[in-house]
Amino acid sequence: MITPILLAALALVLAGPVPALLARADWPYRIPRAAVALWQSVALAAVLAAFGAGIALSYSTAGQPGEPRFDPSSSRDLAAAAVLALTALVGVRLLWAAGRVAVGTRARRKRHRDLVDVLATPDGLIPGLRVLAEQTPLAYCLPALRGSRVVVSVGALDRLDDGELRAVLAHEQAHLRARHDLVLEAFTALHTAFPRWVRSDVALEQARTLVELLADDDARRRNGPLPLARALVALAGSPAPEAAMAAAKSSTVLRVQRLGDPEPRYPLQSAATYTAAVLLLVVPTFTVAAPIVKAVVHALG
Amino acid sequence: MTAEEIAAGTPKGPRPLGDLERLVMEQLWSAEAALTVREVHERLAETRDLAYTTVMTVLDRLAKKKLTERERDGKAWRYKAAAPREELAADLMRDALDRAGDRREALVRFVGQVSDEEAALLRDALARLEARDG
Repeated sequence: MITPILLAALALVLAGPVPALLARADWPYRIPRAAVALWQSVALAAVLAAFGAGIALSYSTAGQPGEPRFDPSSSRDLAAAAVLALTALVGVRLLWAAGRVAVGTRARRKRHRDLVDVLATPDGLIPGLRVLAEQTPLAYCLPALRGSRVVVSVGALDRLDDGELRAVLAHEQAHLRARHDLVLEAFTALHTAFPRWVRSDVALEQARTLVELLADDDARRRNGPLPLARALVALAGSPAPEAAMAAAKSSTVLRVQRLGDPEPRYPLQSAATYTAAVLLLVVPTFTVAAPIVKAVVHALG
Repeated sequence: MTAEEIAAGTPKGPRPLGDLERLVMEQLWSAEAALTVREVHERLAETRDLAYTTVMTVLDRLAKKKLTERERDGKAWRYKAAAPREELAADLMRDALDRAGDRREALVRFVGQVSDEEAALLRDALARLEARDG
């Protein structure tokens, strides 16, 4: 009976207090790559621990592993079945959310790309660059396995000098190369899988910020911090046509302030974070797998 | 490869067709009425060397993407843009600026808009950076 309680506690801690603490800390911003790995590990470990708790609980209620026996008149067995069914339901919901997010995102992106291709002019400066004849300053990328696009509006071009434009393009190309969209997609799927009253925005919000920092670091390595910081201020500081969105706290201030710091290099902190990420995954995986392996060994023996 | 070469249909993968889609749409948008494949081909052939079948393929692809609509006219198909250019451009901007706030993962923006308060913080941070590096 002790395993399901420990796993459930682990799942709860990883779903609530740990993300809250991580989101409040400053150090992840110094090591964005390791921090992304840690967030992924926390999310995955929480899910694994929750499943593990469900499976282990149904095991411990329904007698010994290796002696499968179901008695519908026993309330213990019925409770075990209910727990198992609930666990399966959560799993199905998670897969369903992942599928829906994947399909929806791709459909939306494809439609957007079709529109870009007939409305914007190709530009040879970098592959996939399209210039949109719009005065609203705007720069973004459309990730894809092949045929990804970087879109820049004329309004944005007017506000940037050559160096700043190169910084923007390097930032967008970093997103495309590293497929940061896939990282965000996974967090979005997890986010949408849970009902509004249990889920929190912190993991998704942090993942969004961290991939921006990763792309910023890439652009900074290529062109130095100054053009990128100027480009950020030039494009963010323009009059907001969609004022409603400006109410949300943005990561832009953090990004520019961070460019003022020397190039981040924290090998020890990175190593510690990666180690924590791996350990977080090993513990619940082992606990979930152990009873199953034991049952298999028992059945074979 | 320059934009002109791509537009002229230099044989290299599907890219040239992609750029032709834009040129064909521009013809449809500027036309008064729905055009046949032959009419689109004639208009484009004034400025570039282009096979009739290529125009057919492009119009077909645009119809599949729901960017054009077609109707029978005797033996030929007549194509017109599914919506005026301004309308599609407005659709695109709405999607890109994400006014609904629900599609942030479809495209990744370089930077969002900030509040006045944040804009002031941004200028301060930049000024410090300029003073050091500039």
